Amino acid sequence: MELKQYLAKYFPFPDFRPGQHETIDAVIEKNHTISMLPTGTGKSLCYQLPGYILEGAVLVVSPLLSLMQDQVEQIMAMGEKRVIALNSFLSPQQKAFALLNLENYKYIFLSPEMLGMESVQDRLKRLSVALFVVDEAHCISQWGYDFRPDYLKLGEFRKKLGKPLTLALTATATEEVRKDIAEKLYLEEWKEVVYSVDRPAISLALERVASFREKLERTHELVNFFKGPGIIYFSSKKVAEQAASQLREKGTKKAMAYHGGLNSESRVLIQQQFINGQLDVVCATSAFGMGINKDNVRYVIHFHMPMQLESYLQEIGRAARDGLDSIAILLYSPGDEQLAYQLAEAELPDQYQVERLFGVLMEQQIPYDGLSQRAEELSMVCGFTEIQWRIIMEYLSNLESQNYLADSETLMQLVENRIAVKKQQIRTMLDWIQTPGCKREFILESFNEELANKPANCCSSCGINREHYKETKSSIEQEETVMDWKHDLASILLISERIE
Amino acid sequence: MLIFTDFSENVFLNPIVKLYRQHFNKKSFENVYQISFCKNETLKIKHSACHFHVKIMVYYFPAIAGREFFSVSVKDLLALQYKGDRMGLTYLESVVLSILKRINGERTIYALLHLLQGKRSSQTIQDAHLYKLTPYFSTYPTVSRSRLEKMMESLKRGGLVEEIAEGKVLLTSRGEEKLRLHLAKCPLPEFLNGWKYHQVTESFWERLTLLVQVSSNLIHQERSYIPIRNKQETLSWVKQFIKQQSGDRYTLAERLYEELISALENSAIKPELVIIRLTGFKKIGLTLSQASEQIGMEPTHYHYEFLNCLHFMFNKILDVPSAYPLLDGLLNKAERLEPLTLSAKKTYKLLQLGYSADEVAAVRNLKQGTIEDHIVEIALIKTEFDIDYYVPASKQERILLAAQQISAKKLKQMKERVTDASYFEIRLVLAKYGDIEWN
Ligand SMILES: [Zn+2]
Repeated sequence: MELKQYLAKYFPFPDFRPGQHETIDAVIEKNHTISMLPTGTGKSLCYQLPGYILEGAVLVVSPLLSLMQDQVEQIMAMGEKRVIALNSFLSPQQKAFALLNLENYKYIFLSPEMLGMESVQDRLKRLSVALFVVDEAHCISQWGYDFRPDYLKLGEFRKKLGKPLTLALTATATEEVRKDIAEKLYLEEWKEVVYSVDRPAISLALERVASFREKLERTHELVNFFKGPGIIYFSSKKVAEQAASQLREKGTKKAMAYHGGLNSESRVLIQQQFINGQLDVVCATSAFGMGINKDNVRYVIHFHMPMQLESYLQEIGRAARDGLDSIAILLYSPGDEQLAYQLAEAELPDQYQVERLFGVLMEQQIPYDGLSQRAEELSMVCGFTEIQWRIIMEYLSNLESQNYLADSETLMQLVENRIAVKKQQIRTMLDWIQTPGCKREFILESFNEELANKPANCCSSCGINREHYKETKSSIEQEETVMDWKHDLASILLISERIE
Repeated sequence: MLIFTDFSENVFLNPIVKLYRQHFNKKSFENVYQISFCKNETLKIKHSACHFHVKIMVYYFPAIAGREFFSVSVKDLLALQYKGDRMGLTYLESVVLSILKRINGERTIYALLHLLQGKRSSQTIQDAHLYKLTPYFSTYPTVSRSRLEKMMESLKRGGLVEEIAEGKVLLTSRGEEKLRLHLAKCPLPEFLNGWKYHQVTESFWERLTLLVQVSSNLIHQERSYIPIRNKQETLSWVKQFIKQQSGDRYTLAERLYEELISALENSAIKPELVIIRLTGFKKIGLTLSQASEQIGMEPTHYHYEFLNCLHFMFNKILDVPSAYPLLDGLLNKAERLEPLTLSAKKTYKLLQLGYSADEVAAVRNLKQGTIEDHIVEIALIKTEFDIDYYVPASKQERILLAAQQISAKKLKQMKERVTDASYFEIRLVLAKYGDIEWN
């Protein structure tokens, strides 16, 4: 059977998107593959489809719980029920049951922490694995923009599984990072499917404003001007809330804030309202958008500057998935980079905190494998945030031996390296903001690519005709909502013939 | 028509008043207005007009609240602001003051915090019964210590409460009056029963919302949608539940519709508060904050009215379970309705096996006092639990008599009256009969 026939049989898509066909070809010909496809090309199809061709289970390692959940739901929504996520959402009983019946699943999603458990490892060793998939594979590289120390274990794990056929997926990885991925996963030979990071359908704009207040006002103007729906990204939950409530008050657009501070019910509802067209714009932190399938996002505004070019690309990549023209605008006011530097430093523990931690460890002779039980106490004593603690835990619990003095030094070394990398990334982002040259060219150059064709509305340096992105329909008058709860309930639960 | 809503909690320092325009296409208003009082007391108007028709919904303008239409000028608004008077109560303040009034300075505000958060400790559970505050148990699990402390500061500054000892406060006469006025306009929810339902409310709501979404998509032949609940437990439960139902998808949806109509139809509650949160085929329900904004209630007020509706519905279901097979199913299979703390449950099991309190303490390696706490808790919850073994019947009578004579239920005063009774005996008798004998 041709790949296209598989596509028609199992999936609701008319055709492959760029890179999918090549990646799947490479995989079913049993090549280890590193595939770099732009956000929104449906990376999951690259392992889902081979799953119907290859014998055995498809193991997918995914870094974020929420992302994993989204992927599982999307696969289920397509009618494939043999899918499970092994993560900390499962109760011990559910986990035990799932492990016992693992043979019944075709697609098994795993969090890196689950892979660290020996019981899980042993169970997986007895499974016939057709394909080992590492999603967001750049997380394995120190040079990647989202390094996760627990991803380093994946190489060892892959060895234990007997080096099965492997597919590493990422949206943004420089050549250096791709090499690093292969090395850390112990791939001796591999194929690369690399698609340009360029998204010609998205026009890239930079706007300078003088102050925070002006930025809020400008955001409002832009939201009113552009054709929606749109997403506005913020670095701060509070500002996201503030902007959303201002947009609502002014009354012209349906806006909501989305961030990690909301409870899970609200998060799901807002996400679904946006997908379903009940919202015009979402004011979000970077927590929003991973795994969201919405084709017609027409603009993405950055209220704060992203911390790396890579996350900027990820976030603007949520626009124009249908291939129609869209626009991305980054609003910059002088000094914005200070917030980025602060956030970068706040993610990592400082010297004082590390010294304090080792002081306590030495005094009470706490072994590294006893750290997790005392997480709360130690975090409080040393003032660690959750992210800081996670970094420390992952580093120390992966050490073979224990030497407080030496380890505290190497830990500090690691922290300093990480901060240096992050600062460099912020500087690159700032260079992009400040370059008078073509914004698109700049991005491609930093991924060692060349710009072959300049699209019509390329970037703010080359010139953009804003009218092209303007909302042409006059804003639809809100219908008078007469609230009748019985009628509302009937419209949900009765088919139309039954509603009088 | 314009609506005041969503006030920040500190009325004095940050009185931001927002005017919402609700009915968008009413011709009498050309624009959306925003009025805000900033910290430096300047007034900002986003439009030249100075007179608005407003429907005063809220809380800070008791003088004009409740009047459907009211012409208010900027000058009037300013005057209200400048009276220097604390203008009204937030909904949560009215709840807190009502509880403080019951506690009457005998417990700290942290007892109140634990009550709202639903802390599963013997002390909190006993207090809830002693002061007849069981409706509020666990009705606001997310309320924080700092929020409550800030509110206390504000209430003190406004002269509504006075601190009589560290953390213990009494309502001033001014506070009583404010509360009375507030409750007259905006009474506390009458069907709220946190104690009875706190363990089922959340799981019921999770299951109901998912069941409604699934049923709605089923009857529209839609297979590809994302469930609005992502807890594995809820997903598998609802899946299983649907499998067990007889009849086709249309019957299921219709029965669900009829049960919901019947369980919610009552003029004492506002069913629309529940219905606008529901998700169906191509219609995603509202979040709590969206719902409160649309209805025009403070979020906390909305939250309590919403709970009130659910608890009303639970009462109705449990009265005639056979009339609500679906809803009863969602409710029943959840955790049990009688909640003993885990430790008290263990003690209870041993007592039922015939161990004495001393023996239980020895077996479980716990202090005598802890076991006594458990026994009091058991007496509160298990109506069939016999306390004659622990307190002779004649002594029980004398303790109850003393309790009736002493209005402020102070254990110390009671012990002075019934000198041969221990604190444990008094607490136990109060736990057993407290709710019935006191009025
Ligand atoms: Zn350009």
